[in-house]
Amino acid sequence: MTEEGRELDPATEFRQLYDQQYLSIYRSIRAVVLDPAAAEDLTQETFVRAYRARHRYTPTAPPGAWLRRIGINLAISYLRRQKLARVLPARLYIAPDRREYDRAEARDVVTKALATLSPKLRAAVVLHYYDGLTREEIASVLGVPAGTVASRIAKAVAIMRKSIGSDQDLGPERSTSEGALRGR
Amino acid sequence: MKVPYVDDKPTPGGFGTPSDDDLGRMIRHSVESWQPQRGPDWPGVLIRLANSGPPAWLLYTAASAALVVILLVAFLVGSALQIGALGPQPVPSHLH
Repeated sequence: MTEEGRELDPATEFRQLYDQQYLSIYRSIRAVVLDPAAAEDLTQETFVRAYRARHRYTPTAPPGAWLRRIGINLAISYLRRQKLARVLPARLYIAPDRREYDRAEARDVVTKALATLSPKLRAAVVLHYYDGLTREEIASVLGVPAGTVASRIAKAVAIMRKSIGSDQDLGPERSTSEGALRGR
Repeated sequence: MKVPYVDDKPTPGGFGTPSDDDLGRMIRHSVESWQPQRGPDWPGVLIRLANSGPPAWLLYTAASAALVVILLVAFLVGSALQIGALGPQPVPSHLH
């Protein structure tokens, strides 16, 4: 939304919409693909696709939700292609260099917990907890019933809590880091 | 090392298991810390738009139309020139 509280029109104010939504779309996509470089590429692709379809946008949902729908679907398709590529003969598939990502992942318990979820569960989690969308809005973005969204969020939360809990129970830094937080 | 906020109250699931509220806060905090390396790049979007070909639906429609035209022309030409199965078929004499 603009400062006056008015939604931007993708057909006439696409550039402003790009500047306004870029970061949140990037973060939503990154939470699904868990790869910073791929997330940037997919974010650009999201806006390219949205620009082409800007005249077909109907204001039944805010432009941000419309962009998220395009972005999340692109991210899930990207992961599906990656999964398919992995079953190809080794000669045809060149694995991306994930060393940097793996190092970053090890630093962040949330990212590590997100990595234990399927892409669809990750999408539901990020749309709910980061974007703050309601179940109905998430259902509209993901194209599934609201009940499915609720069950996906519940399942994702259970898996993430377990993952974070076991991480903290086993983590070597637990005593120092927790102590620091508890002392706040 | 990013450390999740842990409430003083133990939550169901174990000592280190965060509550739902804590989990939501941790996710928000973590996701909000993600910054793109390159950042918004509007000229990059314009370059992609310029380099990308026609939309897929237009490509598939044009290809389907071209295929129909080719088949139609082949049928008409084959009929006119009486080529192969489109020409008059010989009737076996022993049937008379």
